[in-house]
Amino acid sequence: MAKTAFNKSQKGQHAWSLPKEEEAFHSFSPPKESLRETEIELPELSELDLTRHFSGLARKNMGIDTHFYPLGSCTMKLNPRVNEWCAALPGFTRTHPLAPDEAVQGNLRVIYELISFLCQLCGMEGGSLAPNAGAQGEFVGVQMIAAYHRSRGESHRTEFLIPDSAHGTNPATAAMAGFSTVPIPTDHKGDMDLKKLKAACSERTAGLMLTNPNTLGLFSPVILEIARCVHEAGGLLFYDGANLNPLLAITRPGDMGFDVMHINLHKTFSTPHGGGGPGSGPVLCKARLKPFLPLPYIVKEGGHYRTVWRSEQTIGHISSFLGNFAIYLRAYLYVILHGMFGLRRIAEQSVVNANYLKTCLQAYFTIPFPQPCMHEFVVQADTYLDKGVRALDIAKRLLDYGVHAPTIYFPLIIKECLLIEPTESESLDTLDRFIQIIEKIVREIQEDPQLVKTAPHSLSVSRLDEVRAARQPILRTYLFREDNIDL
Amino acid sequence: MDFVSNQEPQLKRMLEKIGVADPLELFEAIPKKILLPRPIQDDGLSEFEGMRRMEQIAAANTFPSFDNYLGAGSYEHHVPALVHAICSKSEFLTAYTPYQPEASQGMLQSIFEYQSAICALTGMEVSNASVYDGASACAEAALMSLRTQKKRNQILIGETLHPHYRGVVDHYLRSQAVEVLTIPISSDGRLDLEFVKKRISPQTASLLVQSPSFLGVMDEIPRLCVVAKEVGALLILCANPLVYGLYRSAGEAGADIAVGDCQPFGIPMQFGGPYAGYIACKESLVRQLPGRIVGETVDTQGRRGFVLTLQAREQHIRREKATSNICTNQALAALAALVALLWYGKEGVRKLALTNFQRAAYLKQRLKSVKGVSFLSEAPHFNEFVVRFEDPLNQVLARFREKGIEPGLPLERYFSTLNQHLLVAVTETKSKAQLDRYVEVARHG
Repeated sequence: MAKTAFNKSQKGQHAWSLPKEEEAFHSFSPPKESLRETEIELPELSELDLTRHFSGLARKNMGIDTHFYPLGSCTMKLNPRVNEWCAALPGFTRTHPLAPDEAVQGNLRVIYELISFLCQLCGMEGGSLAPNAGAQGEFVGVQMIAAYHRSRGESHRTEFLIPDSAHGTNPATAAMAGFSTVPIPTDHKGDMDLKKLKAACSERTAGLMLTNPNTLGLFSPVILEIARCVHEAGGLLFYDGANLNPLLAITRPGDMGFDVMHINLHKTFSTPHGGGGPGSGPVLCKARLKPFLPLPYIVKEGGHYRTVWRSEQTIGHISSFLGNFAIYLRAYLYVILHGMFGLRRIAEQSVVNANYLKTCLQAYFTIPFPQPCMHEFVVQADTYLDKGVRALDIAKRLLDYGVHAPTIYFPLIIKECLLIEPTESESLDTLDRFIQIIEKIVREIQEDPQLVKTAPHSLSVSRLDEVRAARQPILRTYLFREDNIDL
Repeated sequence: MDFVSNQEPQLKRMLEKIGVADPLELFEAIPKKILLPRPIQDDGLSEFEGMRRMEQIAAANTFPSFDNYLGAGSYEHHVPALVHAICSKSEFLTAYTPYQPEASQGMLQSIFEYQSAICALTGMEVSNASVYDGASACAEAALMSLRTQKKRNQILIGETLHPHYRGVVDHYLRSQAVEVLTIPISSDGRLDLEFVKKRISPQTASLLVQSPSFLGVMDEIPRLCVVAKEVGALLILCANPLVYGLYRSAGEAGADIAVGDCQPFGIPMQFGGPYAGYIACKESLVRQLPGRIVGETVDTQGRRGFVLTLQAREQHIRREKATSNICTNQALAALAALVALLWYGKEGVRKLALTNFQRAAYLKQRLKSVKGVSFLSEAPHFNEFVVRFEDPLNQVLARFREKGIEPGLPLERYFSTLNQHLLVAVTETKSKAQLDRYVEVARHG
């Protein structure tokens, strides 16, 4: 049963050690009246017990290293170990973010060169690695668009157009930046409804936020027309880079007409997701938006790199220092290992893998959009509703077979949706095994739907009561609390 | 090189099944004029070549060879070996956000324990699963204070909040109809309490202050709390969390929201990130907390388990009405902080904090005997303080660097009047011999 580290405390035990105390330091103590009054209620554990505690927790978690993880929109590709080796080099980990430029030329080179490479890859002309995650990259991009309009005396542009298939972060970001959002519906082919877009464009339009391929895994064949439409209305286009993987060295957002974009390095560029972060969400832009990029900038003068901490029109600081350096360091290595040649292979194979799975899964699910997909695709698990089995149940049953579930119920516009993204990393064998598992689950649905509806059966816990968690929130444990658990 | 598994034989079979001759046929939706040609030359590297390149780049950083006294939100602490061992475990490192709780109990329980440890340290009642960094924690807390008191439209921010954090807060507040007032520094380096008393009003949503401040000074938080309470404003306290091992906790001081950066616990400086920002608050504010929160529950058989909870606040449910657009937490960095906090444990955190304080105090005391050196403030400090040199600062810096010491952060970039001043941070990583050497160099050059 789940015991927390707090439940395991044993009086007086500890793992810590500190440098030897020196006599000369002893006489110093802070003013008595400002000292902490209560004990710090942290557990007391030896290093062995701590190690076993976390090893035990790790075993209750699925990762890419241990399981096939076709979680749509998250690009769960291999996280190469060489990246981890690189990020742990003391030459990088022991550098302070405010060190003088001459003492961190290596770091500054990484930043400068990665921005140049990403610009080249995406058809953009400037960028910043400061945003700490995709959502922050979106926020920066939208604020840059706001600053651009402000600088031209067009502050009346208060609306952002956002397709109804968009990631939830898009409308949340636009709202956070002070814009109102205008949803654009999706047509029967899975593309943005061009007529509705045209009708929505006006002198109030600040811009459009778009993922292409969209969250249905479909590339918009009318992308150039969409861009023209928004530009003619005086708006700018923001590219949500969540789905960049299938386009690497195939086509460039800049050439599609986008003005500013973000990239999720933790998706396309293989940096580990770490159970929910840290990520990194660089923002790239066309020349006319460069003055608004967040601080700091790195410039190259001769062979020397310099950090610029001030600028006139910048939107300012977005992170404590220079963003998630150790994350974009990994992306840098990934990029130089692949080159354009290797990146193109990623794009092509991710699309082949997805289309292969999609073709094979036709036998078991409704496929709402028959045209070729990009790196991911949606299926509808609505044919089993008469047995009382929903997409959620299939997802849970997959866990029993050692496969992490695909994304479910997203995009919201597809009924009983499974969003599946195999990535280029996975072998044909793994994909075939997945298909066999689906086939087996479908058979189970016919023969014993209850088995599927009550899955998972083989993990450390069965289905969890999320309603209870929200209604009677228990959000922490205490050192001295008698937890009501069976030990 | 690449990490693509399937090669020619598999590709052939897959294309046959799909019913196309060339992968390019799958890209037909892309307008021809924006399609790039397939590169012919392999411009990548082997793993060996990549590793050599990265070693060369790392070697171009000379900083690690210096005795480092830079702090200002990023501190050189010992990182227990256990931290890296746990954080590089595949199941933590390569998992996504725990959307399937049954397959993610390890990470969910770790986050639950992280929330518990942050509460224990700060003396607050609830914590979220972490946000990006200290700066975004401040910004999110400021937004929280506006959401909880919708009619209030003013925030008072201490001038001694980390200037980068302030920049990010301003950035997040830009789209809000809110008046931001800066609380100036008084002569002792603390915030001007009289200014606060004069300017605080029933319109004030919150006071956002840092202690130990950017200038290393312990501020008078309990007194500020009293003033804030009088008008019903919230007090947001930003702090290096290590300070709570020694000084009174945010909860004890009366703060409503405690924020800061977990970096001092188990996270290397690594040129500024990734770190993990913490936000902890009173229970009454929990529904306004941004980002992920993990809660305890039971499974269908009554067994204890953990899930992401209170998700009705979040972007994937609420879209444009969400409390924040944030969707990641810094799970792996938060795990590092948790492992370090547990490694130090109840007694170790106290001793670590005391060690930091004493070594900083020792250096400060010894520097008092050096001619041409003075201090900004005699108010209590933690592990950082501001020192003023009479000699031109670039000469002082050159002198120290020649001896392999990075003596502190020049403050002129942030405060134009502090053009002779360095912000000096001392942690447990500095021995008496190193500190004595600092004093020698300061004295003789």
